[in-house]
Amino acid sequence: MFIATGPSNRKFQTIAFAAALATTLAAVLAGPAVADSAKDVLTIGKAADPQTLDPDITVDNNDWTVTYYAYQRLVHYKTINGKGSTEVEPELADSWSVSADGLTWDFKLKAGNKFDDGSSLDAAAVKYSFDRLFKLKQGPSEALPENTTVTVIGPMEVRFQLPSPYAPFLYALANNGCGIVNPKVEEKAKDGDMAKAWLAANTAGSGPYKLVSWDKGQSLVLEPNANYAGEKPAFSKVRVKIVGEAAARRLQLENGDLDIAEDLPVDQVEAIKKKPGIRVEEYPSLLVTYLYLNNSKPPLDKPEVRRAISWAIDYQGIVDGIFDGQAKQMRGPIPDGMWGQDPNVMQYTQDLAKAKAELAKSGVTAPKLSFLYSERDPNWEPIGLAVQANLAALGIEVKLEKLANAAYRERLGKGDFEIGVGKWSPDFADPYMFMNYWFDSNRKGLSGDRAFYVNPKVDELVRKAASATDQAERVKLYKEAQAIVVDEAPYVYLVQKNSQIALRDSVAGFVFNPMLEQIYNIGAMSKTK
Amino acid sequence: MPFVNIIRKRLIFLVLVVFGVSLITFAISHIIPGDPARLVAGDRASDEIVTSIRQQMGLDRPLPEQYWRYLTGILRGDLGASLRTNRPVIEDLVAFFPASLELALVALLIATLMGAPLGVLSAVYRDRPIDHVVRTLAVIGISTPAFWLGLILIVTFYGALGVLPGGGRIDPNLAIPSRVTGFYLVDSLLAGDLPAFGSTLRHLVLPAFTLGFIHLGVVARQIRSAMLDELQQDYVRTARANGIAKWRVICGHALPNALIPSITVLGLALGDLLYGAVLTETVFAWPGMGAYVVNSIQSLDFPAVMGFSVVVSFAYVLVNLAVDLIYMAIDPRITGVN
Repeated sequence: MFIATGPSNRKFQTIAFAAALATTLAAVLAGPAVADSAKDVLTIGKAADPQTLDPDITVDNNDWTVTYYAYQRLVHYKTINGKGSTEVEPELADSWSVSADGLTWDFKLKAGNKFDDGSSLDAAAVKYSFDRLFKLKQGPSEALPENTTVTVIGPMEVRFQLPSPYAPFLYALANNGCGIVNPKVEEKAKDGDMAKAWLAANTAGSGPYKLVSWDKGQSLVLEPNANYAGEKPAFSKVRVKIVGEAAARRLQLENGDLDIAEDLPVDQVEAIKKKPGIRVEEYPSLLVTYLYLNNSKPPLDKPEVRRAISWAIDYQGIVDGIFDGQAKQMRGPIPDGMWGQDPNVMQYTQDLAKAKAELAKSGVTAPKLSFLYSERDPNWEPIGLAVQANLAALGIEVKLEKLANAAYRERLGKGDFEIGVGKWSPDFADPYMFMNYWFDSNRKGLSGDRAFYVNPKVDELVRKAASATDQAERVKLYKEAQAIVVDEAPYVYLVQKNSQIALRDSVAGFVFNPMLEQIYNIGAMSKTK
Repeated sequence: MPFVNIIRKRLIFLVLVVFGVSLITFAISHIIPGDPARLVAGDRASDEIVTSIRQQMGLDRPLPEQYWRYLTGILRGDLGASLRTNRPVIEDLVAFFPASLELALVALLIATLMGAPLGVLSAVYRDRPIDHVVRTLAVIGISTPAFWLGLILIVTFYGALGVLPGGGRIDPNLAIPSRVTGFYLVDSLLAGDLPAFGSTLRHLVLPAFTLGFIHLGVVARQIRSAMLDELQQDYVRTARANGIAKWRVICGHALPNALIPSITVLGLALGDLLYGAVLTETVFAWPGMGAYVVNSIQSLDFPAVMGFSVVVSFAYVLVNLAVDLIYMAIDPRITGVN
């Protein structure tokens, strides 16, 4: 049938079409702006997508948020009176014994642990995991001595044979890289890659949660591992949401779209402290910021010049002015909270008279130094400015040089700098992470001895401490070394920062562990509403 | 010249562009200082571990060999594996590119739908208050930093009023529409999933407006200038003399002609929007290529950076080709002249 359409009819149709479109749009747009965050769902807001989820490859805490509780390790960090500690206790291991020479470690495994696919976690799985770690030979393998061998000595018993005594061994086993991987991942291997590509985006562990989806740049979703041998976790879902901008993370926390917002700048944290429904927990961390004084370059090869610099720095000014009070001055190279730290070791304070006296002793007059830094950390530039102002009082002219981070690291690695700035946190709970990395002259360059410091006596002390089996003996050796490296001042020991974690009030059971930055004990946490 | 010849010429050009871009990005990536193997291994890794990683990645091979392997890979559709994520670059780009393109297209739509009428009004009422308002708005649009505008919009519409989402691409409680095109708007409609469509639209409003607002000024100014030219033409005067209503002449005669040069501007704007959305994507937690590429550059992830460059230059040439074809379709003189 033909219907004539005159001008008035067309007008009516146009108006009707516009009205229908407007109504549909309004209906579509009128949905809820704020997503409900259910009691059994935990949402963590993160600044950046993880890079890889393969525990034998990742060296980034940002990835460990997902991997740490998807896997289990032979030992894990103890919680003492509701507080995270740097001590370890058995997790998958039932017990262990070590030979008198410290080279042979035998572990008995607990029965009943299963991977998320239901297969048993036995000695063969432990051997597979460590063999994979050593074969891939990437960053995480650094935590254990090279040429360590693992053999199965019973269905639930495994032996580690170390090439030389390595005192931090037990602590290193609590590290993310020592997570036990299901050997069945080999079925996903391509071109002999040991399932590297598959594990980059999936998990295959025995921890309380497993990864179920990852929408790149948006979110990762973890759900309980039905075969987990421990207590059933409270959350039916843990969502890790990627929100790049700090201000947006803060707003989402305020609006209840996030339960935990990571990596908020100090000023944002201060602002949300007063908001209802949000709490901020603050803990001393083991993350330190320090200056590398290149000991291989004159005039910094003279300990008097390095001491003069250490006496000239306004530590409290840096703590208050740059870290907004959320930090404290270091006492020696080992941060407070790590065993082995000497609480009585000498601490530099700002004392211009002493600084001038040391400089005069060195015979160096009006030196010029460069201060190298990158955009990696927003605190580094203000620290550079503070150092420039502090050293000007000694007649030392400091030129700031800012580089792209990749170029900065390259120059640091080659020793092509005078003063550099950096931060450091331990991978495992042992003073080895500071004393052996920073001062053993075999580690010159980016890998640890960034001040290019050489002192045979210190080498001897820290190497002895690394192989001694008696902890008291180790502490004694490390204390002796601390006294020397504070006196010779190869670095300026600036500050150790506080960790600030912003959470909704409804989040319960969170335990901070200084060894597990950006890692939340999701297996034991819950929400009250 | 027939369409086919033009398309053939453009496709040859496309191959040359992709080759040139891959060569230049490869050269730049290897000239700048920094060791990607060290970045993957972590600062603390010993030199031995770094060497082992360098071998695994093939970074110890001579540069021409590395480039040849890369180029032959492109021909097979293999852009290599990301050094940072260990995943194939093509998989990452397939995940991120549609998000960026969807945002860019909606932003362009907003810029056009708002910019064109403003440009027309500005031209018709030249030197009157409305013209000044539009021109001021255009300058504000061009000079407003995207991240600032984005934050203000989030604080207002998400923080204070709570009427629009503060970031992301879809409500996290909703299932992501099953992938057909990678555009959530299209995929949700194809699946008949109206809640997902609505949520995607709500999530698009603020980032698309932020991104579109900058180009709104460009479009308004371009249309204004083209319209001023057209309104001086004899055919406009003739049409008016024949008694055709003023707005019918403006919209029916002058505007279509004024739109022709604007198509070039819109084509270029789409290119800008594609690779220029980094800040907007960051502010709105939009899972596009912006954050991926910035992180890749910082990590010296050469395969990812080169893959991005190749894909964007490919898209750029295709957009230009589309612009040319549209030109020919709406202005037959061009085909004739060529």
